[in-house]
Amino acid sequence: MDLAEKISILADSAKYDVSCSSSGSSRKNTPGGVGNGHVSGICHSWSGDGRCISLLKILFSNDCIYNCAYCVNRRSNDIPRASFTPEELSDLTIGFYRRNYIEGLFLSSAVLKSPDYTMELMLKTVQKLRLEDKFNGYIHLKAIPGADLKLIEEAGQYVDRMSVNIELPSDQGLKLLAPQKDKKSILKPMGHIKSQITDARENKTYRKKSRLFVPAGQTTQLIVGATPDHDLSILRLSEGLYKIYQLKRVYYSAYVPVAQHPNLPVLAAPPLLREHRLYQADWLLRYYGFSAGELLDSRQPNFDPDLDPKCCWALRNLQLFPVEINKADYEMLLRVPGIGVESARRIMIARRAHSLNFDSLKKIGVVLKRARYFITCRGKFYGDAAFKETALREKLSEPVRPYQPAGSSKPTAPHIEQLTIFSAWQGDVSFSTPERNTSLVPVQEKHVSPAKEGFHGRLSF
Amino acid sequence: MADYLFDGSFEGMLTAIYLATHNRDKNAMIFASDRYQENLFSEIIRVETDSEAADKVCQAIKSKISREALEHIMFAFLTEDMTIGTLVYHYLNFGWQVKNKLDMYLDDPRVKSMHTLSRRVKFEKHRMLGLLRFRRLSIHEGVYYAPYEPDNNITQLLAPHFARRLADQNWIIHDVKRSVAACYNKKDWMITDLNLTQVPPLEKDEVLYQNLWKRYHQSICIKERENSRLQRQMMPARYWKYLTEKM
Repeated sequence: MDLAEKISILADSAKYDVSCSSSGSSRKNTPGGVGNGHVSGICHSWSGDGRCISLLKILFSNDCIYNCAYCVNRRSNDIPRASFTPEELSDLTIGFYRRNYIEGLFLSSAVLKSPDYTMELMLKTVQKLRLEDKFNGYIHLKAIPGADLKLIEEAGQYVDRMSVNIELPSDQGLKLLAPQKDKKSILKPMGHIKSQITDARENKTYRKKSRLFVPAGQTTQLIVGATPDHDLSILRLSEGLYKIYQLKRVYYSAYVPVAQHPNLPVLAAPPLLREHRLYQADWLLRYYGFSAGELLDSRQPNFDPDLDPKCCWALRNLQLFPVEINKADYEMLLRVPGIGVESARRIMIARRAHSLNFDSLKKIGVVLKRARYFITCRGKFYGDAAFKETALREKLSEPVRPYQPAGSSKPTAPHIEQLTIFSAWQGDVSFSTPERNTSLVPVQEKHVSPAKEGFHGRLSF
Repeated sequence: MADYLFDGSFEGMLTAIYLATHNRDKNAMIFASDRYQENLFSEIIRVETDSEAADKVCQAIKSKISREALEHIMFAFLTEDMTIGTLVYHYLNFGWQVKNKLDMYLDDPRVKSMHTLSRRVKFEKHRMLGLLRFRRLSIHEGVYYAPYEPDNNITQLLAPHFARRLADQNWIIHDVKRSVAACYNKKDWMITDLNLTQVPPLEKDEVLYQNLWKRYHQSICIKERENSRLQRQMMPARYWKYLTEKM
């Protein structure tokens, strides 16, 4: 099999892993070496689905011994199989890197023969890249659950980021769809990597030449929509991962039906809106000071399809609003729907020069479509609706999206919505704000389609 | 009220600003002479570039306003915008009044336009760090050659990044539109004028890697999520001419 064929097969198998970022590492180039890390990460291209390509995202092998129902590489699936050798892969990485196609390598793998065997081959690849080829570009390595912790620990010394995919957000889900895996085998390497990272950081303070260990931290991925878990349980899980395991990011992947299985749901299209809402909430956890319990509770365990999570929270907590734009502190500004990190920052700066009115807010580039209902400028309220939940909700409801709920009567959805969530956060923070992620849909005339009304059943008041 | 014409260099622009300020000409317009459209009514003053005067303006900006303001001006200058001289002049005139608070007046049109321009340059620079594509040529022990046509004159901003990253290879970043190139010889980089009538032949393995990359690029796309509009939004079609995966 020639190299091109292998790339096709192994990239095709790797594409469902959504992790894309190459940020968080400022690894320096070495004398005579090639490559370095760029701390904000760099996107190098965008594929036909609009997702950014930053790293050479590829599997070492797709020849798997497991048979997880949701996975395209499961043993029982009839697809062509291929495996790289460490030499092929390192040559390919460096060849691409020197032409500035990529920012580095994202190496994952199916479980070939045994977890240890697979991990050893992956370790060999990164060792060759770092030690023989003096490659200092970004490497993101997937830790294979069940592999010897020694191997994982050794690999951690060479790579910038590591991740262990949880995939299914509950133990029941795992039992149902991936019987060979369990919660323990996933969390064990995660915990081990975490303690090693903390170790390396602590030593850094008093040892002159300290070892690097996974400097860009670890991440994970959750599949949304393959199991009946609520948004609340997914978000609680993410919150715990951020707090306890100090993960840099949790990725959410709308389940793309790649197989038919009695335990799998039948979906007309990937649940992209749900994935989008989870990303919005995830940003609220990490950058806006929210907690999972504030956004959802057991009475309302799922996100509202019509309104973003921050708007919903604000409508439930109207007693905190409207806030005076010239007085509110930064944390409170961040909690105003429609105001993101960049807008809040600009408000903080501009109001040091002079107090702001509604017009100056427009001029400094704050998007007021939603924010106007939750703020006052010099004491004046500019929303054109009564300050009551029902009135505001009607004003804020987003235009209807071409969204097809699971099991809808129509055949495959003709139009699959897409979101910029994967790509927008690669650049410098200074010019790619999270706000750009939340206002994805072009402003359209609001119209309510009967199908939508039938499904959600509460659009009119 | 007069039109001050400078030679197109950064120092020239600062000299013109120096003169206009010296003449207390609040309504002066400042243009690069090659982009100037003459009209009947304005008096024209041609400015001889004077590095001493330029330096004085630089120092004044740093001491009376801020380093940040100078940085904004330097970046904004690279847009080669028609009106850049005048915009900088008005920005500075406001700056002399409000001193180091200048960049807090985000809603002032003079400050806003300067910030918009400098942000545009920084954004394109960052974008190009990713979108630049090198191809290996069969000359000069396989020099890596990257032609591109950026909106702004950013070649000098890209060079340090690639000098750190691709430190052990010879490379050329060529702004075809402006006939300017950054050349690196495994030690230092420098900016030169470069006009190629014909690109030298590719090295023998080059096409192989290009094809592998194209193959990869196609395979990584999830068909169920196809969205070419988003792709265009992130990677505008005007850059495709030099992108290996789009060739």
